[in-house]
Amino acid sequence: MATTNASVSISSSDLQPGHNLSINATSTLMKTGLTTGLELMEMGNASVAVGSPTEHALAVALGTTDSANWVYICNTSTDDTYNLEVVISDTVIGYLNAGEWLWMPWNMGDSAAEIEIQAIGGTNTLEYAIFKSAWTLPAAS
Amino acid sequence: MATLTPTLTLNSADATSDTVNFSVTDTLNVTGDVVSLSRVALSTSDLTLFASASYSRSYVYLKNTDSSIAMDIDFGTTASFNLAAGEFAFFPWHGSQNILAVADSGTPVLEYALWEA
Repeated sequence: MATTNASVSISSSDLQPGHNLSINATSTLMKTGLTTGLELMEMGNASVAVGSPTEHALAVALGTTDSANWVYICNTSTDDTYNLEVVISDTVIGYLNAGEWLWMPWNMGDSAAEIEIQAIGGTNTLEYAIFKSAWTLPAAS
Repeated sequence: MATLTPTLTLNSADATSDTVNFSVTDTLNVTGDVVSLSRVALSTSDLTLFASASYSRSYVYLKNTDSSIAMDIDFGTTASFNLAAGEFAFFPWHGSQNILAVADSGTPVLEYALWEA
């Protein structure tokens, strides 16, 4: 069983007068049931151009509903006019501006739950990591 | 204008033969509304945590503080994810769909905060 720890800290010294914001959270990535660590990991870099196809599938969904999967995506572009649209289940979750990242669970319950990304402003570069509970290789063509 | 500094760290000594150990940080500008760190007890009925009509693009932090009960976080009616006990998420939210929260069972407590970009 693998032990993978995720930690996030969020801080600000100027958000509220007289109060420094400091949020810290840590968790171990577990399969559903909280007893077995996630063992499947996919990491990489990619670039996404504006144009056809408009949206690109970063990861296709082949798992089961509410299975424990985690997604890290970082827009590594340095041009602040570049944005990366992140879509799951045809719903726009958010936009990652240059340098921004997200960390969130991913419910890959059905094929419609794939993670799609779209470049805005120019060819965006990104890095990503996906931790999965289970994975089935697609059939060879 | 205030700044927010989020940092994510992932590490594992045994997920693969190669140690995973990386950290990413950013400096975000907060120019709009702020929902300070708060907690709410969920139920098995949908709770509208953040209404799309109230916020534009924002950064959202969520943490399930319960030790055993999971909860679903929904974006409108089509996209959702499940936060198991003790798990957290941080992401930019487009603000086009409401963010809803519902407990798998019982009344687990969700910790949350929002910063409007």
